[in-house]
Amino acid sequence: MSNFNLNVNGSARSVDVADNTPLLWVLRDTLGLVGTKFGCGIGECGACTVHLDGSPAKSCSFTVKEAANAMITTIEGLAPAGQLTALQQAWCRLDVPQCGYCQGGQLMCATALLAAKPKPTDADIDNAMGNICRCATYTRIRQAIHAAASA
Amino acid sequence: MRASLPVSSPSPDRRTFLKVGALAGGGLLVGTFFRWGNATAFAQTAPATAAGFAPNAFISITPSGAVSLIAPNSEMGQGAKTALPMIIAEELDVPWEKVTVTQGDLNRAYGQQFAVGSMSTPGNYNPLRQAGATARAMLVAAAAQTWGVPAADCTTESGYVVHATSGRRLGYGALTATAATLAVPQGVAVKSPNDFKLLGTRVPGVDNEKIVTGQALFGIDQVLPGMVYAAYVKCRVFGGKPISANLDEVKKLSGVRDAFILDGITGLMPGVAIVADSTWNAFSAADQLKVQWDEGAAVAESSETMAKQAAALAQGAAATAAALPEGAKGVEASYHYPFLPHATLEPQNCTAVFKGGVMEMWVPTQIPSAGQGLVTAGLGLAAGNVTVHVTRLGGGFGRRGSNEYSLEVAAIAKKLEGTPVKLTWTREQDMAHDNNYRSNGWHFFKGGVDATGKVVALNDYFVKMQGGPGDMTAGTFPFNVVRGAAVQAGKINGTIRTGYWRAPGDNGNIWATQSFVDELAHAAGRDPLEFTLDLLAPLSAPPAPPAAEAGGLPSVFPGAGAPGALGGPAGAGGVGARGGGGRGGRGGGGGFAASRMVAVLKLATEKAGWGKKLPRGQGQGLAITFTNNSYVAIVAEVTVSPQGELKVTRLTAAVDAGLVVNLSSAESQVQGAMVDGIGAAWFLKATVEKGALAQTNFDQYPLIRMENAPPAVEVHFIKSVAAPTGLGEPGLPPAAPAVCNAIFAAIGKRIRTLPIADTDLKWA
Repeated sequence: MSNFNLNVNGSARSVDVADNTPLLWVLRDTLGLVGTKFGCGIGECGACTVHLDGSPAKSCSFTVKEAANAMITTIEGLAPAGQLTALQQAWCRLDVPQCGYCQGGQLMCATALLAAKPKPTDADIDNAMGNICRCATYTRIRQAIHAAASA
Repeated sequence: MRASLPVSSPSPDRRTFLKVGALAGGGLLVGTFFRWGNATAFAQTAPATAAGFAPNAFISITPSGAVSLIAPNSEMGQGAKTALPMIIAEELDVPWEKVTVTQGDLNRAYGQQFAVGSMSTPGNYNPLRQAGATARAMLVAAAAQTWGVPAADCTTESGYVVHATSGRRLGYGALTATAATLAVPQGVAVKSPNDFKLLGTRVPGVDNEKIVTGQALFGIDQVLPGMVYAAYVKCRVFGGKPISANLDEVKKLSGVRDAFILDGITGLMPGVAIVADSTWNAFSAADQLKVQWDEGAAVAESSETMAKQAAALAQGAAATAAALPEGAKGVEASYHYPFLPHATLEPQNCTAVFKGGVMEMWVPTQIPSAGQGLVTAGLGLAAGNVTVHVTRLGGGFGRRGSNEYSLEVAAIAKKLEGTPVKLTWTREQDMAHDNNYRSNGWHFFKGGVDATGKVVALNDYFVKMQGGPGDMTAGTFPFNVVRGAAVQAGKINGTIRTGYWRAPGDNGNIWATQSFVDELAHAAGRDPLEFTLDLLAPLSAPPAPPAAEAGGLPSVFPGAGAPGALGGPAGAGGVGARGGGGRGGRGGGGGFAASRMVAVLKLATEKAGWGKKLPRGQGQGLAITFTNNSYVAIVAEVTVSPQGELKVTRLTAAVDAGLVVNLSSAESQVQGAMVDGIGAAWFLKATVEKGALAQTNFDQYPLIRMENAPPAVEVHFIKSVAAPTGLGEPGLPPAAPAVCNAIFAAIGKRIRTLPIADTDLKWA
């Protein structure tokens, strides 16, 4: 057990957990931020995607210790309270989610993509959006990214 | 509001019912109306009739006009939480923006609550229309009474009752007090579907905002005060059990509260439970567990030996097969598909607390009653002492009809009386212990076409695992239109549990049969579309009298569908005719109508530009199914590079699923089902080695991702006012054969073993 000082969604948070705890489980079990999902635990599915200093990272695959010096953003912190980003709005309007379990991670990837490439091509989307959607909502994810990019 | 949340009460007593009945002005579902739980809870939240109007278990309207509707079936991505309340809102005539939807917990008052067999909408369509129409009639009667005019002179308009002659109007909220005093009318007429305003439009999911902002919705998100976290470790070999484990060492690990073996509980696979103060500590402790297992007899089983058994069975059958008619051109082919776990992205999980003899559970489940029954029986609890709260599901696909994970956590919670427990499976456990894998299967086809291109012989020897759904008979298209056609079946015994996986049976059988139909078409030198239309022609004719001679044309509607029941629910739609290919049973009523199949075939091929000239390396393929009583035709277009790189460039589906309730989710279901279908066929294979599943995680079970999803996925619905039929599954079965047939058209290579990725597609 060690104490870690984290910066999560712009707030300072202090946690006491085992050193080897993946950030994912600190977010979910310790901080109650359950929007970041557990899917595989080996960095394959991307349901646990968060931003570390603005870049997408799979939070099941690094420890809380490794995240301690970064600005951590989760799906809960993507937009100011009560508001939605253009991507979140497009996701709702175009009714992207089916079961919805992967969509937080998908939005974290899409947000980083648009930050780097405001007008992505289909090839850019193929490259940036590597997370698994078990319901296979890929058609609408692609549409929603294009819609938000032209909003 | 009558209550902030419906209280699930599995054992209504007569006193409660009568009290509720009196307060609510009688229940629509008389005799089963016990939504409000015990009388104390009811009294606290709804002290008087003035609090609102709740004519039945699904609807409550407050004096301020707020409308709250129950979604009775669990939401796993199929859109039931939005579509079902839409049906009520349509008949109730309230603006959708003003409606609040609440997920219904397990409660007999909600009627058919299982989300399997694509039955959520077909099974609830009429009852929910009736619920909405009845409430609307009572509000109209209340207004008529208030104004002293005949009810027949009043109409409704988006949450208001209107008396056009006098220009008076009253909002539903203002009418609740009067409406609540009225007797519930019986047999109220519902709207004509031609007058629907909400149904058939695009309505985004009611939980979308919560999903995109990461709010707690799923079973795995459940948190209770003082909750502990559990892991449950079972033998990787199917049917194995623990003999002993280093429990004392594990109990000493950081964050671990307890560790114990569970065995001897009816319905529970024995295993080792670890209770810790976080999920990670429970998982970490499980890694330190050293168990002596009794692996049992299954350790000798493997996919390899099963394949040998299948071949031997088929060889035995071949010796007795009828000879091909003279002059016919023979076509023989064998097809094989592997086991598939469901791999819901949310691993299995459940939360439970045991207090005062009552087990309260939060379950991501497709059949809420299944877990309740399992826990009641397994733990010997008194009937009615298991409460089930239904959470959102991070995917279902048939996996969560089995609720064995709820018994696992309940068994742990019973030992820790008073302490809430959340059990979470790892992905590795989820892969290893799927309770109903898609069965592997083999089809050994023999067919023949004559000089005119007509099919004159058709035989299939079909092998799958013993038990579970997915048997195929000669009632399957096109066997049911070929004179003397036969389907024989062989079964393999094995310990692996197989069962319901999205579009059970059809997910493999339609791939094989629709691929073989394509082979026959090419053997006959015919266009696959014309060939299929010709095969359907006998089904389009009016039903003929039974064939007099032996070996005559089989019945056009043989009614040879899959068994109608799954797990708990009885009478889940019975069986259906199989004229179009697949499993007609479930997914709504109605027999097969060839004209509807012809219509989707024509629509899909027209939209896809069927028959266009394409260069080598590009091709179109076609396949159809009649699954869950819905008609689907799919045209796939692919590109295969000379080096063998496959791209599925376009999928075009035409669907007749009767009336479409929510166009947005209906389209999304078919798109997702198609991409799921091609993803599974392209990449997925699970094998049994030494009695256990060999694949452990997504690195070895590569679900389709964005880069391989077709850039164009179109869905065209036949406009219809017929009763809705299934939509969550029917889009899946024809997608894979359409792609495989397109690959053949592109490069002349026939895919007869799945996954496609195992076949070298380099140009010869």
